[in-house]
Amino acid sequence: MDWLVDLFVRTQGWLFDTLVQPLLFATGFASYAEMGFDGVEFVLLGAIELSAAFVLLRPLEALWPAEKWAERGAVRVDVLYSILNRLGIVPLAVFILLAPGFSELEGWLRFHDIIPHQLEDWLPTLDYHPLASFLIYLVILDFAEYWRHRLSHTWHWWWALHGIHHSQRQMSFWTDSRNHLLDDLIAGVWFACLSLLIGVPPGHFLGLLIALRLVENLSHTNTRLRFGPVGERLIVGPLYHRWHHALDLPADPRFRYGCNFAILLPVWDMLFGTLYLQDDIPPTGIHEKTPSEIAARNDFWQQQKLGLKQFANALFKRNNTQSSA
Amino acid sequence: MKPARLIGSVIFACLAASAWAETALVLNSGDENVSLIDTVSYKETGRIPACKEPHHLMATPDDSSVIVACAISNELVFFDPRTGQEQKRVKNISDPYQLGFSPDKKWFVANSLRLDRVDLYRAADFSLVARVPAAKTPSHMAFDKASQYVFVTLQESDEILAIDLKTQQPVWKMNVGPTPAGIYMTPDDKYLLVAIMGADYVEVIDWRARKSIKKITTDKAAHNFLARGDGRHVFVSNRSMKGSISLVDTQTLSEVEQYDVPGGPDDMEIRADGKELWATARFARKVQVLDLEQKAVSRSIPVGRSPHGVFFLKHAARR
Repeated sequence: MDWLVDLFVRTQGWLFDTLVQPLLFATGFASYAEMGFDGVEFVLLGAIELSAAFVLLRPLEALWPAEKWAERGAVRVDVLYSILNRLGIVPLAVFILLAPGFSELEGWLRFHDIIPHQLEDWLPTLDYHPLASFLIYLVILDFAEYWRHRLSHTWHWWWALHGIHHSQRQMSFWTDSRNHLLDDLIAGVWFACLSLLIGVPPGHFLGLLIALRLVENLSHTNTRLRFGPVGERLIVGPLYHRWHHALDLPADPRFRYGCNFAILLPVWDMLFGTLYLQDDIPPTGIHEKTPSEIAARNDFWQQQKLGLKQFANALFKRNNTQSSA
Repeated sequence: MKPARLIGSVIFACLAASAWAETALVLNSGDENVSLIDTVSYKETGRIPACKEPHHLMATPDDSSVIVACAISNELVFFDPRTGQEQKRVKNISDPYQLGFSPDKKWFVANSLRLDRVDLYRAADFSLVARVPAAKTPSHMAFDKASQYVFVTLQESDEILAIDLKTQQPVWKMNVGPTPAGIYMTPDDKYLLVAIMGADYVEVIDWRARKSIKKITTDKAAHNFLARGDGRHVFVSNRSMKGSISLVDTQTLSEVEQYDVPGGPDDMEIRADGKELWATARFARKVQVLDLEQKAVSRSIPVGRSPHGVFFLKHAARR
C-alpha cells in the first residue's frame, strides 16, 4: 500500500512542479502554491475515481443493461460534463467565483467576534475519533444534499437549471455530472454555507466527496442491478434513482415534484414522504415542449443557453410551468 | 512498596521519560493529526488526533507545552512535548495560523492568514486585546528585541507590516518583493530577513530605516527560517519540489552553504548538538532528515498529508 501512496504523491509532485507551480509563480500567485498542490490531488483523485467508475460500471451497463440502446451518441455530452467536473475545471471555476465572497463574509464575522459554532463544539469527542467524525459528517452532508436536491425540483427557477440533468434519455453512469454550470455554482454556495455553519473538516472533504460521487455514479448506471427489498432502503441504487429520473412521475400528488431525492441514504425519502419503490424499469428523461428544448437534449452549449433562458424566465416573468420530473 | 520495586519503578519512569523526550511532533495539516516520531529510531510511533488544519506550532516560553495552532477549528491545542499527550484546548482563538510570543513574553500573537488579520493576545491568559486588519494573507512574524514591534509578512500584497505592540496599531508597511513568507530578526536586532517565496532570494531590510539593503540569492521559493543556534547562522528552506535548504550568515549577509532537500521543505527543527536538521516536506508527505556533517539527506520519514510544523524538545538554542 505504501508504494501506491508513494506513486500517487510522486505523480502529484511531478504535475505540481511541471505545470502548476511555474504557472502560479509566473502569474504572481505563488501564495496559492499549497492550494495548487491540493488542487492537483483533487484532479488526480477525480481521474482515478472516473477510471474506477468506468472499469466497474461500464461492464454492468454492457452485461445487464436496464435499457438497450442501438447507439450511444446521446451519452457523449455527459462524458464531457464528467471530464469537466472530475478533472477539476468546473470545481475550480466555482471556487474562484465563491472563495473571495465567503472569505470576506467569514472575515467580517470573525472581526466582529462572531465565531460560528462547529459540530465539535457540541460533540468534542469527534476531535478524537476520526472515523466517527467522518461518518457523522457524511450523514449530515447527505441530509443537506437531500434538501438541496428536493428544492431544486420544487422551486421553478432552480428546476429551470436542474432540468438539464433530467433531460437525458440515455441515462448512464456518466450522467451524474450532467449539470448546468449555474446549478453547480449554486451547489457550491450550498456547501460553503453548510461548511460555515458546522465546519466540515478539510481533511475529510475529499473522502466525503468521493464517497458521494461513487454512489452517484452507481445510481445513474444503466443497469438492472438491484439491491433487494432491504438493500434498496439502505443505500441508493440504480433502480431507486432511475425512478427519480422517470419520464413520467407517479400519479400520487405527494410526488408532484418528484420522488427518491436521496443521494446516498434512502432514509431521508422515507422520513420525508418521498420514497417510491417499484420493480419495473421506467424510461428516463423529461417531456420537452419546445423545439429549443429538444435541440438542447444532447448539446452542451444549447443546454447552457436554454438553462439560463428558462432560469431568467422563472425569476422575472413568473409565467413558468410546473416541473415535469 | 518494597525498596527494590520502588527503585525499579523510578528507573523505569526515568527511562520512559527519557525515551519520550526523544519524540518529535509533526503536524499533518491535511490529515488533522500529529505524527509522533522516535528521534532515535527515526520511526513513526503513532498518530494522535489534533484538530482541523493544524499548521504551525511553538513551545511555550518555559517549554512545558507545545501549542498547536488549529486554523479551521478556531482553537489552540496544548501538547506535552515530553509525552505527546494532549494537555488542554483553548477555544475561540479565531483562525490561528502562525503563532509567536514576544521576547518579553507579554504578548501572544496569532496571524490569521485566511481572514487577513493579526490578533494580539495577553500571553498570560490568552485573552484577546486587539484585532489588527492585515490584508492580504498575513503569514509569518518576527519581533524586535525590545518587544515594541511585531513584523508580519503579507503574502498577497507583497509587503511587510509593522505593528506597535504598545498601541496595538499598525505603524508602517513596506513593499519587499513577490509573495514574502518567512521573516527573521538577525541576532544583532539590526535587520529583518524576509524569504521571498515568489522568487529565489532573501530580502534584507534595515527595519529602522525602513529600506532594503540587500538581496541574498538562495533558491527557488525561499520560504522559512530557523536559527542554527550559534547566534550567527540561519537556515532558509526553499520550498519547491526539487527543494533545498540554504545556510545564511547573518553577519556577512550571504549564503554560505546549500543542501538538496527534495519535496518542498517548509518548517524546520535542529538537534541540540547541531548535527541534524529536520524539515517537513510539504509536497512529499515526509520529514527529511538532513545530516549537516555529510551535508545530505540521510533519512526520509513517511508521515501524513501536507506535514507542516515540526518540533522536538532537545533542540538547539533559538538564536
